[in-house]
Amino acid sequence: MVKPTHVTNSIRSLRFANAEMTQADLADRVGVTRQTIIAIEQGKYSPTLEIAFQIARVFRVPLDEVFQYPER
Amino acid sequence: MAFLEKSNWVALVVSVPTLLIYAILVVPQVLSKPIAEISWVQPMIFTIVGFVVANILGNIVAAASNPGEADKKDQRDTEIDHFGERVGNWLIIAGSIVALVLAMAMADQFWIANAIFLGGLAGALVSSITKIAAYHGPFQTW
Repeated sequence: MVKPTHVTNSIRSLRFANAEMTQADLADRVGVTRQTIIAIEQGKYSPTLEIAFQIARVFRVPLDEVFQYPER
Repeated sequence: MAFLEKSNWVALVVSVPTLLIYAILVVPQVLSKPIAEISWVQPMIFTIVGFVVANILGNIVAAASNPGEADKKDQRDTEIDHFGERVGNWLIIAGSIVALVLAMAMADQFWIANAIFLGGLAGALVSSITKIAAYHGPFQTW
C-alpha cells in the first residue's frame, strides 16, 4: 500500500501551460475527483493506464510528457 | 474531501462512541455479576441499531454538505475502499474464529456473541482508519 512510486509527473506545469487549468477542471475532464488529481500530482497515487492516457489527452501531449519513470 | 473519505470519518466517529457505550453498559455487569445474569442482548441490539442509524444520518449530513460530490466515486476511491475492507475483514474473521473456538469449548453464549460483535465493530473501526490513512498518505495497490 505505501510503497513509494518512482513515477513522476508534470501535471502541475502542464496545467499552468494550459491556461492555468484548475485541478477541478482537470478532474471534471478526466472524470475523477479533485482529490484524486491532487494525489496523482503529488505522487501519492499512480493512476491506472486509462486515467493516465485520459490526462495526456486533455493536455494533447504524449503520455511520457505527462508521466516519467527516471532511470535509477 | 472526497465524499467516501467523509463517509469513513462518519464510520470512525460513530464506531468509537458505539464501542464505549456498549462497554459502559456491559463491562460493569461482567465485573459484578455471574455471566448467566448479565443483561447483554438489549445493550447489543441497542448498540448495533444505534451504530447503523448514526451511520446513515452521518452520511446524509455529509452528502447534504456538498451534494455535488455525493455521487462521485472514481478508481482511487474504489481501490481504497477495497483495500480498507480487506484489512477490516481480517478482524471480522478473527472474531468469527474466536467465536467458533468458544462454541466448541461450550462457552457461554455471552462470550460467543461478544466475540462476533467485537470482531465486527473492530473490523469497521480498523477499516475506516485504514481508508482514511490511505486517503492521506501514499497509496498504491501494487
